[in-house]
Amino acid sequence: MRTRTFVLAAVFVVLTASARTQEGHPLTGTWAGDWGAAGAPRTHITMVMEWDGKAVTGVINPGPDAISLTAVSVDWGTWTVRIEGKGITAEGRLEDIGSYHRRIAGTWNQGGARGEFTLTRE
Amino acid sequence: MKQLVLGALIATGAVVHAQLPVPALYDEWRRITLDGVVTRVEWANPRAYVFVDVREASGVVNWAVEIGNPLDLEQRGWSPTTVRTGDSVSVEAVPARDSAKRALVSTFWTTRPRARVFSGNATAKAAPTVAGAAPRWPDGQVRLGPPAGRKGYWGVSSLTAMIENGSKASLRADGLLTNLSDADRVAPFQPWAKAVYLHRQRTLLKDDPAARCLPTGGPRQFHTPNGFQFVEQRDLGRILVLFGGGNRNWRIIYTDGRPLGQAAEAVPSYYGSSVGRWDKDTLVVQSVGYNERFWMTAGGLPHTEALRLEERFSRPDLNTLRYEVTVDDSRTYTRPWRSAWTVRWVPDREIEEFFCEENVESTFIR
Repeated sequence: MRTRTFVLAAVFVVLTASARTQEGHPLTGTWAGDWGAAGAPRTHITMVMEWDGKAVTGVINPGPDAISLTAVSVDWGTWTVRIEGKGITAEGRLEDIGSYHRRIAGTWNQGGARGEFTLTRE
Repeated sequence: MKQLVLGALIATGAVVHAQLPVPALYDEWRRITLDGVVTRVEWANPRAYVFVDVREASGVVNWAVEIGNPLDLEQRGWSPTTVRTGDSVSVEAVPARDSAKRALVSTFWTTRPRARVFSGNATAKAAPTVAGAAPRWPDGQVRLGPPAGRKGYWGVSSLTAMIENGSKASLRADGLLTNLSDADRVAPFQPWAKAVYLHRQRTLLKDDPAARCLPTGGPRQFHTPNGFQFVEQRDLGRILVLFGGGNRNWRIIYTDGRPLGQAAEAVPSYYGSSVGRWDKDTLVVQSVGYNERFWMTAGGLPHTEALRLEERFSRPDLNTLRYEVTVDDSRTYTRPWRSAWTVRWVPDREIEEFFCEENVESTFIR
């Protein structure tokens, strides 16, 4: 009985996840993840991006301490994303492009520190 | 030996209704032959299967042979009892891309009894059509639905994947480009949109939301396999568009003179917000408010919530619907562009029942 319940729950989760799609500009949406140097504590990141037809705009960590993005560019041949904000530069590769929960993973530079970051579209 | 040739399923894209698209599932460049005994026939939308026990070196293996969409099969003369449990069969098929014991039929033979059901590149029995003028309401306006007192619906379209009018690019029925270098000829893409389109093409459309039974919004409504119907509710100032595929969804076009509104005011949806007006014999429909959760055509053309469509429906004669759409989405395309196709009338019949996930309990879903 417990196994059956688990299977039904798993099927529900799979079906629910598979029904969510976002097929427009691949950066549009809210992304969550973290960054940090190897072995160091990780710092949470929430990033909101939007495509207005000419540029990707957005903020890091929306709220009173939000950091506006000053430039976001993508090399569409390699799916490499470069993100810039005040005191922040990050460069990563867009992965699993066809998924609602696509990811960006790469290198994050902030305040003289350097580390790896991952972001997953929520 | 009787032979069932189900036509070039891949070439026609006839089974691209829902769930993973055929090109993403099957390796079209390979062929296998399966000789064995039928253990089960699964007659459910969107895809019917015949399961066959095949003796292999490792022992008996149960193969799932996809034979097509039940509605298409019935029109080709196949019924759920054409092949029965215990029949000996020989199947030439296209195997799955992965190691699954699954294949798409190209030729199906039963070895006993030796009776021919049909052969050759069997095609669906076309309903006999009678030429005639477009039907009209008493006030002279063209009817988009059946003539008074008759049945019928709109069926096969002349184009099953959108491409800009006048383009020389070659698209398969399932929306895959014959040559990827022709992508720029399909539509005037912004760079990101071209990259996304090419990604979808290169991955053989495997992420198509319609394959997961999500609604086929936008122009794709009018080239899906199972047809559509207009219900003109003139007293209510609206036209319902009923779709035969997917999940039997519907769309409303308001003709009561209300304003279209702004895209930003609308709650984005699969079918958007539509208002229509008649320009002589052409219904002109403006739509905004689309979400970004669907592909507006087979083949994977992207769009954003900024999408605006102008659709023009006309009926030059009883059996022809002319559809022309202008795609205006400056966040995705460098300029507005047009595509057009015609749809054939299916007389004296109603849209058949079709549910996208009827086979939700099948071997490949559960």
